[in-house]
Amino acid sequence: MAARDERDHRVEGHITRAAFPLPDLTWPLTAEFWAGAARDELLIPVCDTCGRSRWYPKAECLHCDGEPYTWTAMSGRGTLFSWVVVRHPFLPQFADLVPFVPALVALEEDPAVRVPTRMIDCEPADLDFDMPVTVTFREITFTGVDGSVTAPLFVPAGSAE
Amino acid sequence: MAIDPDEWGAASDFDDVSGQVAICGVGDSDMSKASGRTTQEIVGQAVERALADAGLAPTDIDGLMYSPMPEQFGVAAFHEYFGTSHDIWESRKGGGTTGAAVAPYYAAEALRTGTAKYVLNTFGVAWATQRGDMTGGPGESHAQDLFKQNLEIPLGWFPQPVYFATIARRHMHDYGTTEEQLGAIAVACRRHANLNPEAVMREKPLTMAQYLASPKFVDPFRKEDCCLISDGGGAYIMTIPERAADAPKAPAIVAGVGLGTSYTGTHWAQQPAFTSTPAVFSAPAAFAMAGVAPGDVDLYTCYDPFTIVTLMQIEDSGFCEKGAGGEFVAGDTLHFDAGKLAHNTHGGMLSHAYVLGISHVVEVVRQLRGEGAAQVDGCEIGVYGGYTGPQCSTLVLRKGS
Repeated sequence: MAARDERDHRVEGHITRAAFPLPDLTWPLTAEFWAGAARDELLIPVCDTCGRSRWYPKAECLHCDGEPYTWTAMSGRGTLFSWVVVRHPFLPQFADLVPFVPALVALEEDPAVRVPTRMIDCEPADLDFDMPVTVTFREITFTGVDGSVTAPLFVPAGSAE
Repeated sequence: MAIDPDEWGAASDFDDVSGQVAICGVGDSDMSKASGRTTQEIVGQAVERALADAGLAPTDIDGLMYSPMPEQFGVAAFHEYFGTSHDIWESRKGGGTTGAAVAPYYAAEALRTGTAKYVLNTFGVAWATQRGDMTGGPGESHAQDLFKQNLEIPLGWFPQPVYFATIARRHMHDYGTTEEQLGAIAVACRRHANLNPEAVMREKPLTMAQYLASPKFVDPFRKEDCCLISDGGGAYIMTIPERAADAPKAPAIVAGVGLGTSYTGTHWAQQPAFTSTPAVFSAPAAFAMAGVAPGDVDLYTCYDPFTIVTLMQIEDSGFCEKGAGGEFVAGDTLHFDAGKLAHNTHGGMLSHAYVLGISHVVEVVRQLRGEGAAQVDGCEIGVYGGYTGPQCSTLVLRKGS
């Protein structure tokens, strides 16, 4: 990952990118993911050589060593693989979020792809393992950070948006 | 390297070094919350104590191992601390975490070829003092990973307590593991810390009722499921067994070493075997080299950032079947005086200090000598399981004479 040193915006242990923890929309390996989210599309890279999903998007396919891949729209349906209820803000930028429910969602097209996300519009007590969930696209913001980004969050399947 | 998706990692192909290395001296620093001390001061104190324990002078040390993390005790720091200037062989394949287990493997060749006679391995942190200066605190190194910055942290999946609480919840689903079973690990470690005058939590008892009453700040974890944040460090000195026989204390003999790697690294969300650790790969390799079985082990210490990480390593190291860890650790199994699988008898990172595993090895050596604060009866085989992000390591030590 040759780009790392130039792009991790680090000085003596401090991440100096002002928008952190918003994503860096210009980082080449994930720029398409966020561009898709801005259009309400959940995009996952699929290997051009072996047809398997490549998550996270690395330069080489873990399964076949192939390099080229195509960002491909998913249905946005999946199942809830696991989740936690965070009541303590681990970053000061999370102060207005707590309590919140970071989760991993296994996608319908390839359950080996687990998308880190947040479960919203639901009570934590109503969540269950492997329950059907659906993507929804929302603006995310952070305490003390200017700007917002559209991100793929998830809700229980069938719940009204 | 293309992989079978079911093969999510592998063991390193290690030569047999069984019986080639002895640990002849150990020491650790004062353990504390924020102390205002520098990492070098902390490690220097641990080294002074290890030298005294081994009956050696600073000029006897001609090999030095440490981790590639910042601020570690390299040759320049050693000379500055002790006012020495002699030639010292050095390697960054030691230190704490996994390095605390594999340092003897990499020291073996230097000792065998005479490159070094006494190799010192050290590790220390001043993270309790420094935590306010780091963007991510102890999550700093994770925050610097650009996949995490751009695919995990914006969604709030950060830092380590969130990763491992997510894993714990899935382990509960897959195997029926309960919060009370995780609590048994925390309670055993705290009991050991209460018996250890050097432990940060020496004066803070923890009963199961107190554990269960504690709020779940990152549900399903309570703060008692999470390790401390500490200032502290440790050191141990290695030589060949023939030379260790002249040391003031009985040596600990390195019987087996193993190292395992997960191909998904610290991107735990994507690890195919979500509720396993690379101890699956490191432990069988180390036990095979040592010629011992898990059932032969008197003391099992392991890198314990969270209770679930202990539970998974116990399963993955073969002390019980995969998934049976919850039932296995319930009750007094892990207590030093239960005659079962004594575990982290100094209190571990949960209750002794978060010094990333170096004190676990120091503790194993003390237990093999019979010097433990919570001493295990007849302790002859002790194991340290190291863990860091993408790797697990396993070190089997045998009581020497």
